[in-house]
Amino acid sequence: MAQSSALPVEQYNFDIVRRFMIVAMIYGVIGMAVGVYIACELAWPFLNFDIPALTFGRLRPVHTSLVIFGFGGSALFATSYYIVQRTCQARLAFPWLAEFTFIGWTGGVALGVLTYMAGFSQGKEYAEFEWPLDLAITVVWVCYILVYVETVRRRSQPHIYVANWFFLAFLLAVALLHIFNNIAVPSALLKSYSVYSGVQDAMIQWWYGHNAVGFFLTAAFLGMMYYFVPKQAGRPVYSYRLSIIHFWALIFLYMWAGGHHLHWTALPDWVSTLSATFSILLLMPSWGGMINGIMTLSGAWDKLRSDPIMLFLITSLSFYGMSTFEGPLMSLKSVNALSHYTDWTIGHVHSGALGWVALVSFGSFYHLMPRLYETRMYSQTLIYVHFWLATIGIVLYITSMWIAGIGQGLMLRSFDDYGNLAYTFIETVEFMHTPYVWRALGGAFFVAGALVMVYNMVMTVRAARIERATLEAKLAAKLAKA
Amino acid sequence: MFDWLLWFTHMENSKPLALVLFFGAFCGILVYVFTGKQRAKRLESYKYIPFDDEESQRPEPHDFARGKPRARIETQSRKVMDNER
Amino acid sequence: MTMRHEQVETNSALMLLLILAVISVGGLVEIVPLFSINETIEKVEGVRPNTPLEIRGRDIYIREGCYLCHSQMIRPFRDEWLRYGHYSLAAESQYDHPFQWGSKRTGPDLARVGGKYSNQWHVQHMKAPRSVVPQSIMPNYPWLLTNDLDYSDVADRMRALRVTGVPYSLTQQEYDANVKRFGPTVADQLDISKAEDNLLKEARDKNFDGIPGRVTEMDALVAYLQSLGTMVDFTKYDEGYFATFR
Repeated sequence: MAQSSALPVEQYNFDIVRRFMIVAMIYGVIGMAVGVYIACELAWPFLNFDIPALTFGRLRPVHTSLVIFGFGGSALFATSYYIVQRTCQARLAFPWLAEFTFIGWTGGVALGVLTYMAGFSQGKEYAEFEWPLDLAITVVWVCYILVYVETVRRRSQPHIYVANWFFLAFLLAVALLHIFNNIAVPSALLKSYSVYSGVQDAMIQWWYGHNAVGFFLTAAFLGMMYYFVPKQAGRPVYSYRLSIIHFWALIFLYMWAGGHHLHWTALPDWVSTLSATFSILLLMPSWGGMINGIMTLSGAWDKLRSDPIMLFLITSLSFYGMSTFEGPLMSLKSVNALSHYTDWTIGHVHSGALGWVALVSFGSFYHLMPRLYETRMYSQTLIYVHFWLATIGIVLYITSMWIAGIGQGLMLRSFDDYGNLAYTFIETVEFMHTPYVWRALGGAFFVAGALVMVYNMVMTVRAARIERATLEAKLAAKLAKA
Repeated sequence: MFDWLLWFTHMENSKPLALVLFFGAFCGILVYVFTGKQRAKRLESYKYIPFDDEESQRPEPHDFARGKPRARIETQSRKVMDNER
Repeated sequence: MTMRHEQVETNSALMLLLILAVISVGGLVEIVPLFSINETIEKVEGVRPNTPLEIRGRDIYIREGCYLCHSQMIRPFRDEWLRYGHYSLAAESQYDHPFQWGSKRTGPDLARVGGKYSNQWHVQHMKAPRSVVPQSIMPNYPWLLTNDLDYSDVADRMRALRVTGVPYSLTQQEYDANVKRFGPTVADQLDISKAEDNLLKEARDKNFDGIPGRVTEMDALVAYLQSLGTMVDFTKYDEGYFATFR
């Protein structure tokens, strides 16, 4: 490939990008597989096997941490390190520090997951790591910020490109959230108690929880989108001015919305009303991002027919648009009264996590593969296969969760003619068995797709190696002749 | 002397005030970003940054910035599609 | 001088500063006022910190990830009132570090499960849920009955909780304050120096797990579950009072 040899491989640090990408896929497949397993546990409880480490309560944080921090986090490290180098035309700063972020992050996630299985947990959702790990993560994160910001400062380009704004906001916000939510008093090496209690702890936890979604799983992935969609399409983003507006609006509004996770609880009404208001406003900047991404293709829609990577990216934006419409809807107090505590929430999370986060990451990785390994993808067909497996999986997943969640919500609030409750709780559990089976099937489809991708990646790397070896052999032969 | 500061401590005063300030800021940004032909051109020119480190020439300017009717742009900007096979 | 967005775009320090300012507003406005306890938490009698045995039970509750399937927060709806009881007050979780309100009900709410079932029922249900509720999808927790409770560090746990603001007492002064606030019986339970004795005494006297002479993890967990939602006597207050705090 004449072109790829012109790619400035030496100029940039691609090695760390490659390794983070590989780790993301490994953690992704394991984390999603654990997800399918715990989905099966809910359908067939004998799968808990009376083994403490395998019970739902301990495996569920394993699943969430592996997919959010293991897969999502590593994908963000990989893409942000790539994007910041390419848009600033500067090599990654502090290479040894970047190396440390790799070891620290991947090691931290692995250790965290093992401690969960051994029964060590802070008891706060998505922030279950115990305090020593929280401290370690904080150190890694500060190093990440240093590497990233210093690379931006060394840019040979006066402007900081939009994608980097999103990454900068993500870096700052996650540091802020992680530190304030995890302040705790230790009583032993792996046991601590949150300094906050009750209603304050609840609000801080969901300020953290919602903005983990807002900044970790949204803003940062929008940064990914702002680079890879234009690059893959070969045309610039639809509107730079729209990106200015929606960037500032998005980061401002997200921080207000956390309270909608606590509607109708002991949280004072004024907070939850304020949160609901901002959640509805949030629809606009969210859709601003979606429109900016999708309209990048305006005038070149035919790409969707010929380019499966584009298919991944545009579909991810569609799911992003869908779940950011569903979110404000569910933040309305009247809708929330039905949806809260049910599987509707679980479905909503997964339409964002599978549909948006995972698909945009897969699309970006497919874009990166040839560039990082100076070759072509092993199989175009397998990318299509992956796409359809993933899409079918998501549709099965969210549909079954709508049925389970709305169904349970309606059953729990229905009364008979005499004003008595029409159903006991356990009857709703029985009702949810069938949707749970379908959900597990949907998850299995999604994992199968990810495995196809892993196979495709492995074969690509192998082909690249053989290609290089033959090239070198030819060169050596030439030299020998001369 | 500082009695007027108390006015801000009442929720029924500070809430609409905050609303007016934030909404004003939002409208200000909106007006700033979307008015002025020169400014529009300038701002939109920054969206080509991702293509700056490519050896091939930049893609054609996007029509949105100029308000021209959309022309179908064939993307031969990149010499080789990596996914060609 | 006119402010241009380019100034922000070309100056990383300015951009970081501006981002920090923009993301800080929401949290400050919504979270800081919650710490002015007076308007957030109802003033009710009866809510007390957990006993040493209940602390260990709660730790086991967290260890097994119970909060991932069970909420402890009843909402003010008619169906929830009929199913679970009076809606939860902020005061009832004021000593909960961390809170355990939960976000998902794969199983029923537990905010007022205390006293609803017998100890024996809980033990059987924890050991084999489907032997009492055939359609249940809860995992079995047989090891709670076979694991002896490790209570060696319960005083350390209370000391850590004391730092967070739970009124466990170390000094005579603190003890006296607790007597005034909770009465002598509760104040004794909150005395850190007597933690281990109190724990053993409660486990032996009430024998939650039905196994005499042994203190198992089941003792602690059932003690904790039986305490949930039982502290406030709702007949003492009229509804209008709680509504002023919402």
